[in-house]
This record gives sequence, structure tokens and C-alpha cells, in this order.
Amino acid sequence: MENDPPIVQFCPKGNVLVVAEQSLGQIQPVTLELLGAGRILADKMGKDLHCVIMGYDLGDLPNQLIHYGADVVYVADDEALQYYRTLPYRRVLVDLLDSLQEPPHTMLLGSSTTGRDLAPRIAAHFETGLTADCTELDIGPYEHKSKVDPTKLGLYPNCLYAIRPSFGESLKARILGPWKNPQMATTRPGVMIPLKIDTSRQGQIHNIPVKLNSEDLRLIVAETVKEVSSGLKLTEAEVIVSGGYGLGSKEGFELLEQLANCFNSNAIGASRKVVDLGWIPYQHQVGQTGKTVRPKLYIACGISGAIQHRVGMSKSNIIIAINKDMDAPIFKFAHQGIIGDIYQIVPELITQFKALQNKSALGGKSVVGSR
Amino acid sequence: MVKSLNIFVLVKQVPDQGSKAGLNPDGTIDRAKAKRMLNPFDRYALQAALHTKKQYGGKVTAISMGPPPAIEVLLETIEHGADRGFLLSDRRLAASDTLATAYALYKTVLYAGQFDLIFCGLQTTDGDTAQVGPQLAERLQLPQVTYCEDFSLENDKILAKRIIEGGYQKVVSSLPGLITVANSYHPLEYKSFKGAWRVQQLQRNPENLQKIIQTIDLDIIGADPDRCGLKGSPTIVAATEKVGDLGGNCHMHEGKSPYDLVQEVLACTNLQELVSN
Ligand SMILES: Cc1cc2nc3c(=O)[nH]c(=O)nc-3n(C[C@H](O)[C@H](O)[C@H](O)COP(=O)(O)OP(=O)(O)OC[C@H]3O[C@@H](n4cnc5c(N)ncnc54)[C@H](O)[C@@H]3O)c2cc1C
Ligand SMILES: Cc1cc2nc3c(=O)[nH]c(=O)nc-3n(C[C@H](O)[C@H](O)[C@H](O)COP(=O)(O)OP(=O)(O)OC[C@H]3O[C@@H](n4cnc5c(N)ncnc54)[C@H](O)[C@@H]3O)c2cc1C
Repeated sequence: MENDPPIVQFCPKGNVLVVAEQSLGQIQPVTLELLGAGRILADKMGKDLHCVIMGYDLGDLPNQLIHYGADVVYVADDEALQYYRTLPYRRVLVDLLDSLQEPPHTMLLGSSTTGRDLAPRIAAHFETGLTADCTELDIGPYEHKSKVDPTKLGLYPNCLYAIRPSFGESLKARILGPWKNPQMATTRPGVMIPLKIDTSRQGQIHNIPVKLNSEDLRLIVAETVKEVSSGLKLTEAEVIVSGGYGLGSKEGFELLEQLANCFNSNAIGASRKVVDLGWIPYQHQVGQTGKTVRPKLYIACGISGAIQHRVGMSKSNIIIAINKDMDAPIFKFAHQGIIGDIYQIVPELITQFKALQNKSALGGKSVVGSR
Repeated sequence: MVKSLNIFVLVKQVPDQGSKAGLNPDGTIDRAKAKRMLNPFDRYALQAALHTKKQYGGKVTAISMGPPPAIEVLLETIEHGADRGFLLSDRRLAASDTLATAYALYKTVLYAGQFDLIFCGLQTTDGDTAQVGPQLAERLQLPQVTYCEDFSLENDKILAKRIIEGGYQKVVSSLPGLITVANSYHPLEYKSFKGAWRVQQLQRNPENLQKIIQTIDLDIIGADPDRCGLKGSPTIVAATEKVGDLGGNCHMHEGKSPYDLVQEVLACTNLQELVSN
């Protein structure tokens, strides 16, 4: 690695490559989003959109990637790739890039726990730039004027603009690295827009070899615990009452259940912290590694509002937050904030929502009566 | 465990979020203006390192890269029970991106000597990329466990639980290895009396201090300056833009009886159609 080539090696060529993510026979939504974004970038440059998928027994998944926008799909299908593991996946990707005549111009991964594990290793191996957790991507020119490093001076066409929120989302930073390909980025799940599926789309599928050595197998996956079915109506409910560590114990969810029952279409949500503590099953988890929800009303009880929770619920129509800490981050994006103790506020909410229920029941009667 | 473990932990000094971080026009941080603190995520990494020492025996080495004041975070690790530290400080490191940072830390780790386990924080509160850990692991050709919530060591193997979408994974990895510790790991315990006393003694005696916390530069560790700082960084922050508030202009209700608080909220929202009857 000491004899690696220099950083500055500008090359305007190359395609866009998306690294697909699949789990338990399903392409992950972030991959479809990346194909949507990657398609736009590739079209802007007049290049192709390539995609690589790794796993075991992948069946029809490569075709699906074409239906969602890929022109070329590289497939690595091997038992050793059944579960995501850093080193085997890294090896396959490194070998693929080494086998290409020119490196991709742009290389995109999801900023999931997989993408953020794998992308930095690839970037470090190829000594190239990587922007984390982007919320916007674009292609455009860039003129570098700073003379600190004269080798970088110049006007560069077709650079990847990787745009990411920073400093607790108070700033947006545009990060560029046109000097070397692939220009890499991970993108935040749920942000980019997938293309509509088009089963008539045609593309090429290439199988690529999987050659692992013993070094690549230093880690084994002993157990994967993952919620498969989404039988819960969390994503469909109009009202979600969600509980966090502030509940103090799992019994707190009984109170939240009562509150939820005041509404026609309701479900119980939770933060990851309480799911980890075993207070409530995984299916209830809202956030980056749980579900993304968009109810009409989200009531957050004793949830601090960590970024990983926020990305799963910030698009709710109305967010009411109850927290005893006035500095809790959740008050930065909730609509109605109540500073107080859950065990005093929630019973009062139940009482007053019940009163509203009766009122609307009465209202209903009076309408009938007036006819 | 047969032998005594060499445990490394990487800690970064970051601007205190409470105080407004000074930003240079080019988007890099003006560290002179900002108040400083130990990256909150690194507290979990430190706890993991100290726990490993306590449970399995060994020595904890803390490593930081940053300007001279970053020695504060290394002293903090010693107050908590770390044994020694290395501060890599060099003007040529200014404006390093994650690739250049990981290169410099890689050279520092090699300089610091033998290791069995390296702990990193999940991410920082300033750069916030979560990339340095895996990039360092790549340089060192190590297996890694990222998003680690819990772990133990058995027969020279790491047994670890890591976060994945919709659940978790249990993995078994060989040593040596690199672990990035999630913020759902155990919080950092209080400073030890012994550690606090040790730091007091060190601060009175600069010569001993330099023995326990070595301040080093690129020449000492034999790092290539062209791979560090702005020069060694393939990315630059080309522009920053203020986003302003997160959109939620939160209407706050406080300091009243629960009855009045809830009345107020109901007056501000129209939830009638959602309640069941
Ligand atoms: C890779 C990764 C993925 C993650 N994915 C997710 C995810 O999908 N979803 C998720 O939620 N988190 C996720 N997290 C975890 C996230 O970072 C936070 O740790 C978590 O959301 C915190 O949960 P919490 O708000 O319940 O707990 P805390 O942060 O501990 O907050 C508890 C809150 O309750 C308040 N409180 C305490 N007592 C009371 C009381 N009596 N009345 C009122 N308020 C009270 C406190 O003031 C505090 O604000 C993830 C983390 C990582 C690293
Ligand atoms: C607004 C902004 C956006 C940025 N975006 C990017 C980007 O997208 N891509 C990019 O390559 N660079 C980016 N950078 C530069 C990046 O912040 C620096 O390279 C920084 O030195 C390390 O990255 P990090 O803070 O993100 O660390 P992370 O990768 O988040 O840190 C993970 C862990 O690595 C260890 N660690 C990190 N830095 C040090 C250190 N100095 N000393 C000891 N241990 C350490 C700690 O254990 C830490 O918990 C950005 C900087 C700014 C100001």
C-alpha cells in the first residue's frame, strides 16, 4: 500500500456503479433508490449505469435490478456470500474493480449498516474519496483555485457533487473529489427516488468469480436475528404512539396502549433502545434500522429524538413530543412539545381524548337528529 | 486469555456542540475558536477498552490525532484508567479527510507497537462520517466489527453483537481485530481516583507526562506528508450552506398543570377526526 499511485489522477471517463444490497432474497429499498439516483447521474454524463449484486441463490434479483434501471449487472453468487460480511464482500468488489478496463466514475452504496461498513474499506483500498450519508447527488463542473496543493488546480467537468447534512443537520456541505475515480458516496436510505419498475427494460448480466482466501474468512456470522414479515400495521396506522427509554420500564407500554386505543387506526412504535432492552419486539421499532413511518399523528413519549430515530418518523403530519428535558433534540423537529413527565401527561391525554371521543359521538347523534 | 492484551482506543477531540462551532469559510473547523471536548461516541469505545482490560487483563493505549490541545482528551482517558497515550500533532495534518486521517492513524498505530484489539467510536459529532474506523482496519488488513453493541473474548476469538437493519447479528472474529462501538454499549464509568491522582501528578511533572503521553509528529512515525492533510485528501468540502431550523417550529407547552398543558395542545391541533367513537 506504500507504493500506491498518487491521489491526483483525473479521468472524466467511467460509468456509474451501484453496489446493491439484498437480504433474505429481497433487494433492499435503498438499492432501488440508488438506481434511481444513479440513472440520473449516468444520463447526465452520457454513461451507463452498472450494478453489482453479491449473495447466495440470488435467483431473479439481477433481472429486477435491470427493471429498476441498471444497464449492466455483475452477479457474484456464492454460498460464502449468503450473509453480508465485510471481508468476502470487499474481496469480490476489489476483484471486480481490478478487472474493469477503467474504474467507475462514480460508485454508490447505501448508508446502511452494510454500506457504511463496506464503502470505507473499498475507498481506503483504492485510495479514493468517499462522502458519507448524502442526501443529494449531482454532476457538474468544479474549478479548484486553492494553491495549497498545486497538483489539484484546474477546471474539472463532470464531478460528482455529494451533498450531506453536517453539524446536527444545521449545515449542508458539498463534498467533491474529482481527482480520482471512483468518486464514492453513501446515501441515506429513504431519500433518493426509485424509478418505476419497467419489466420490459433490457440489460446485460455478467457472472463474476468469487475467489476468497483464508484471510477473508476470519469472521463468521453465527446468528442473524431479523424481522422478516411486516405483519404489523405500523406503516399504515394513522396514529402512532411511540415509547422510548423515558418510559422507565416495559410496563409503560400498557399506558401507551390505552392512549393509542383512543384512535381509530393506531399502532405502537418504539425507539431502538427499548427494543434492545427487550421491552417490546423489533417490529415496533421506528427509525434508521427499523421502520419508516408517516402517520397523521405521531406521539413520542420519552424519546430523545436521536437522528437514527428521526429519519424514521420526521415526515409525520403532526408530531407531539412529551419529554421532561427541555433540551431534548426531539423538540427541534416536533410540532407540539410538552415538557413534563409521561406518567402525568399521558393519563391526562387519555382523559381528554376520551372526552373528544364522546363529543364526536354526540356530534354524530346531533347530525342524525337534525335530519 | 493466555497473554496480557494490548488494547488500543482511538479518541478524537471535537468542538463542544453546546458552543457554536467556529467554521472556516472553506467549511473546515476553526479549532481555535470552538470549545472542545472528547467525542461523545468515543466514551463508549473507551469504556469497551477499559472493560476489556478489567475482564481479560492487559494495557490500554489511547491514541489521538489533533492539534496540541487534544492532549486534554488523552489525559481524560488516563483519568478513567488508560495506561498511556500518543498524540499525533503536526501542522501538515490540517484539513485531512477521512482517508488521510486513517493513513496518519495507521502510521501512529504501527509506531505505538503491538496490539490485539483496536476500539474506535462509531462516529464523531463533527465530521460524523463513521469512516475512519473501517479505513484504518483496511490499512491494517484487519477484520472489523462495526456497530458493535456488546462483545466478549473467548479462546482468542471475539464474540460480538452488531446492529443491522431490523435486528442484530452475532459474529465470531479472530484476533487481532478492530471494533467500532455503538452508543448502545455501556456508558463510560466514572473516573477512577487512581487515574485522577495520576493525571494530577503528571501535570506537575512535564517530563513524566511526555513519557506517558508521547507527542509525536509525521517525521517521528515515518509518515509520508504527501498522504496527509489537504494534499493527501481526495475530497474537499467545496461549499457549505446553512439549512436553518429543522423545519419543526416546535410549539412548546410547559410550566402548567397536566390538564392545562393538554388543553393547550388540543387547542393548537385538530385531532377530532382521528379519535374513535
Ligand atoms: C446504527 C444505528 C442504528 C440505530 N437505529 C435506530 C432506530 O432505527 N431507531 C431508534 O429509535 N434508534 C436507533 N438507534 C439508536 C439511537 O441512536 C438512540 O440511541 C435511541 O433512539 C435512543 O432511544 P430513546 O430516545 O428511547 O432513549 P434516550 O436517548 O435515553 O432518551 C430517553 C428520553 O426520555 C426522557 N425521559 C426520561 N424520563 C422521562 C419521563 N418520566 N417523562 C418524560 N420524558 C422522560 C429523557 O429526557 C430522554 O430525552 C440507532 C443507533 C445506531 C448506532
Ligand atoms: C462538514 C464536514 C463534512 C465532512 N465530510 C467528509 C466526508 O464526507 N468524507 C471525508 O472523507 N471526510 C469528510 N470530512 C472530514 C472528516 O471530518 C475528517 O477527515 C476527520 O479527520 C475524520 O473524520 P470523522 O470526524 O468523520 O471521523 P469518524 O470516521 O466519524 O470517526 C470514527 C472514529 O474514528 C476515530 N477517529 C476519527 N478521527 C480521529 C482522530 N483525529 N484521532 C483519533 N481517532 C479518530 C474515533 O474513534 C472516532 O470515533 C468532513 C468534514 C467536515 C467538517
